[in-house]
Amino acid sequence: MSDFTTTIGLEVHCQLLTQAKMFCRCSTDYIGKEPNTLVCPVCLGLPGSLPVLNQKVVELALRAALALHCQILPQTLFHRKNYFYPDLPKGYQISQYDLPIGIDGFLEFYSQGVRKKARIRRIHIEEDAGKLVHEGAFLPPGTSGVDCNRCGIPLVEIVTEPDLSSPEEARDCLMMLRNIVCYLEVSDGNMEEGSLRCDANISLSSSSLTGVKVEVKNMNSFRSVYRALSYEVERQRKLLEEGKPVFQETRHWDEIKGVTVSARGKEEAEDYRYFPDPDLLPFSLKTEMIEEIKSGLLELPLEKEERFMTQYELSQGEAEILVQDREIADFFEDTLRNFNKPRMVCNWIVTEVFRNLKELGTTISRAKITPSHLAELLKMVDRKEISGTMAKSVLEEMFTSGARAREIVTRRGMALINDEKELENIVKEVIEKNPQSVADYLSGKEKALQFLIGQVMKETRGQADPELTRNILIKVLSSEE
Amino acid sequence: MKIEEFKDFTIQDYHHLLEEKKISPLELIDIFLERIEEGEDKIHAFLFVNEEKAKNEAREKTDNWPEELPPLWGLPVAIKDNICTQGMPTTCGSKMLENFVSPYDATVVERLKAAGAIILGKTNMDEFAMGSSTENSTFGPTHNPLDLRRTPGGSSGGSAASVCALEAPCALGSDTGGSVRQPAAFCGVVGLRPTYGRVPRYGVVGLASSLDQAGPITRKVEDAITILEVISGKDSRDSTCAPYPPFSRNEIPSLEDIRKIKVGVPREYFSSRVEKVIGEKIQEALGKLKGEGVELVEVSLPHTDYALEAYYIVASAEASSNLARYDGVMYGLRVEGEDLQDMYFETRTLGFGKEVKRRIILGTYSLSSGHYDEYYLKSMKVRTLVRKDFEEALKQCNLLITPTTPSFPFFLGEETQDLYERYTDDIFTIPSALAGLPSLSLNCGYEGGLPVGLQIIGGPFEEGKLLGLALWLEKLLALPSPFPELKEGRGQ
Amino acid sequence: MKEVVYLSELEKIARLSKLGFSAEELQSFLRDINDIVAHFEKLNQLDLQDVSSTSHLGGGEPPFFSDEPQAWEGSEEVLKGAPWVAGGYFIVPRIVDKEEKENEDRRI
Repeated sequence: MSDFTTTIGLEVHCQLLTQAKMFCRCSTDYIGKEPNTLVCPVCLGLPGSLPVLNQKVVELALRAALALHCQILPQTLFHRKNYFYPDLPKGYQISQYDLPIGIDGFLEFYSQGVRKKARIRRIHIEEDAGKLVHEGAFLPPGTSGVDCNRCGIPLVEIVTEPDLSSPEEARDCLMMLRNIVCYLEVSDGNMEEGSLRCDANISLSSSSLTGVKVEVKNMNSFRSVYRALSYEVERQRKLLEEGKPVFQETRHWDEIKGVTVSARGKEEAEDYRYFPDPDLLPFSLKTEMIEEIKSGLLELPLEKEERFMTQYELSQGEAEILVQDREIADFFEDTLRNFNKPRMVCNWIVTEVFRNLKELGTTISRAKITPSHLAELLKMVDRKEISGTMAKSVLEEMFTSGARAREIVTRRGMALINDEKELENIVKEVIEKNPQSVADYLSGKEKALQFLIGQVMKETRGQADPELTRNILIKVLSSEE
Repeated sequence: MKIEEFKDFTIQDYHHLLEEKKISPLELIDIFLERIEEGEDKIHAFLFVNEEKAKNEAREKTDNWPEELPPLWGLPVAIKDNICTQGMPTTCGSKMLENFVSPYDATVVERLKAAGAIILGKTNMDEFAMGSSTENSTFGPTHNPLDLRRTPGGSSGGSAASVCALEAPCALGSDTGGSVRQPAAFCGVVGLRPTYGRVPRYGVVGLASSLDQAGPITRKVEDAITILEVISGKDSRDSTCAPYPPFSRNEIPSLEDIRKIKVGVPREYFSSRVEKVIGEKIQEALGKLKGEGVELVEVSLPHTDYALEAYYIVASAEASSNLARYDGVMYGLRVEGEDLQDMYFETRTLGFGKEVKRRIILGTYSLSSGHYDEYYLKSMKVRTLVRKDFEEALKQCNLLITPTTPSFPFFLGEETQDLYERYTDDIFTIPSALAGLPSLSLNCGYEGGLPVGLQIIGGPFEEGKLLGLALWLEKLLALPSPFPELKEGRGQ
Repeated sequence: MKEVVYLSELEKIARLSKLGFSAEELQSFLRDINDIVAHFEKLNQLDLQDVSSTSHLGGGEPPFFSDEPQAWEGSEEVLKGAPWVAGGYFIVPRIVDKEEKENEDRRI
């Protein structure tokens, strides 16, 4: 059949990391709080209340816009988006319409090892709405409850052009976007908690058929994004192959059933009657401020990833894992300052360090281990003062106690025995105790050598340097001949 | 002391009385509460009289007399019912907020209280400030104390009437398209609309955000100055409030400099639509100024004729959005419904009166897709032209003088077939509001017992010049302050 | 070309504004609105091509506030004065409509 081209665009909302809300001084720390306790006349939309803009919101949004290479408009202003809903106290949302904070940017990322680019159409700021609950013991029957703690939390909305050509790309693009906002400390980018949310537009087209845009909502994790869009590609492909029409509509992703379901909209499209909010003056984003933020922008995930690849000769996959979390990337580089073997450090971080962090349920910044601690440990491994297996155990203790490697090794007597004289004695002992194996080895059975090495290991409780042991064994055995 | 003795008092006069301990705050408040009781069943200026709390406050002040009295210490002030006052109703003249008690004070109220004032009560108004007669109040109209058969104007009709009848020494109103000035004119008192951004709007229930300003309604220009000094100045809770310090009477030029002011007379405000007597009285006042050596200049504000339409589009559009919050969910009236949509419709249909609904429809229409450019965008452009008119005119002169209204206060209950004609009552107050300019109305004469309002318009933030000229003109005119006997029919 | 507001349009506007009218009221409003809109025609006499629009009065840079939270003590009073509160939530008729859920999904 004909080949179809997939076209995907993303619309991403991020909650901004401010202490106070967008237009009032209420705290943004609403998770787990009693309903309607972090509120004031402004975010409740009481008669006579007025909005005043939180400076930090502009800073953070600008940071994001600049990092995404957007053109910053000389003047920006707020518009009202008018509609009725219980979680919208004023009956309108303060948002931006035709003068958003940034336009025409782009985002680069890796997808399946290939460097990709997605253009950013616009980035704008708007306030969040409240929370609705539909279930709960306290709810009288037949009702829903409104909690305004979340009203007025600042959001940034990022819209990409439909430049993504597969569900993988969409997911990878989203992940890079998330990394960027996390790196910038603009948002904590948590999809599960709702501080990062993604909607997508997807269409399939061919040489003979123009695509029909379908909006997909309710994807609550990176995996959902991938699954939902993959499902959509298949669904639309099937329809088109059967010559059936694809409707332009909004579909909801059902995580449990693994399908998208049509959410047929109202017959009458909502008319939001956007107009400039007269309670908030237009303001200009000064060049000094823009320059200051630009120069303060730290190295972004992609730059870091590519630098790691060239500077440390890591593979794209390795680099990618390290830069996901800026703190891990920093930890990696800090370790290298004391122990300059990138591949080894990388390997230890992505296996053992990650494992320990996961088991303890903590993050690298809160962990008891420091980069110099890790470096010290790895130096010992590198110098064969301890074996790799020993080191894993030492690391575990370092994580739980915060003690240093050397101290642990000494205390637990784990030092690798690499004293030739000492080893030789042990080897001779083992040879004496195992005449059959010796005979086997001397008659050509390589396996017997392994057995003998194992016995030396047993004798030394794993502390014998394996390579040295091997060499000594061979030397002694050959002299036996 | 008796209420009659306060007929010609300024706020400073009350202040001196209190300073000299010739009267106590409690005695003072009692006098006004008595006057209110006397007058209210005829005038109906108040929707809520703060009797108990005001007396308690007055008692407390009387018991704790400070060394130095803050400027408004012990002064009773009436507040228009669309300005939030904690612990007492703020109804906006509407069923929608009939039982609403604001949990916070408007900035202007905070400032009055900090200066020692006592809130006497909340005054009647056209519902959500939409109207110019106070007949649109859900709770019944206010009667003009100078002729109880007539309207006191609107939407701050209650405030103007209370000051006229001396039920309150002074009041706060709000002016969007003339709602302070027109009732002041109809009641023979002073009404000031400050420059947009001069007085904070935080706590003033929004009608049209780019037009609303709270302003004083007083018996003398001197009092408008005193109140303005207290309520004006930047407010960190209002983004549209200019970052300037409060107005100070030091900004008022000396008499010598005031004489040098050039007064512009815009020809468009003296057309045939102005009632003859009103035009004559204004000319008389202008003549007095001329006689004192003031230069009069004829100017033109060519887009005056378009200001009304532009205003109604902008004001309705903003109002339709500002009134969307009245949905029965968190405060105010709620009518339970079968479902959410039902609740919205029932609540808003019952809660709002006809004029409010009309303006909401008009506003929603102007902003709706397909009509935005035709109406809203267009009117914003006309607004630019109106502003430019004033800018140009104020290059040739310092202040403009016009009639405040084209006609005398009309009879209550007078049905107008043409809805639009009622809107044109505001034709002289609207343009300066659109342009955000400071303007004041003061009485310049009586005709058959009815007052004629004279309007002075100034340049942005030039309240100093404006109030200076107003003070002087008031002196020159030397008119008696209103003190109606509150009998049926004519007052004065 | 004279703009005329038709009944269907008025009905749509009424729905958008959540205002209910009887058939009679609708007719009365239709007359009023058309009357007013007819007056708005006057604005077409002006050439507004090169005129900038004034969307805001007040010039200068608006105030911002610095990112420090400050608690407000009045939330309990608001809840006390609300039409219907349970468990600390404002209570509304149950939202089950899928189209309304869609509105909800527009947010985070």
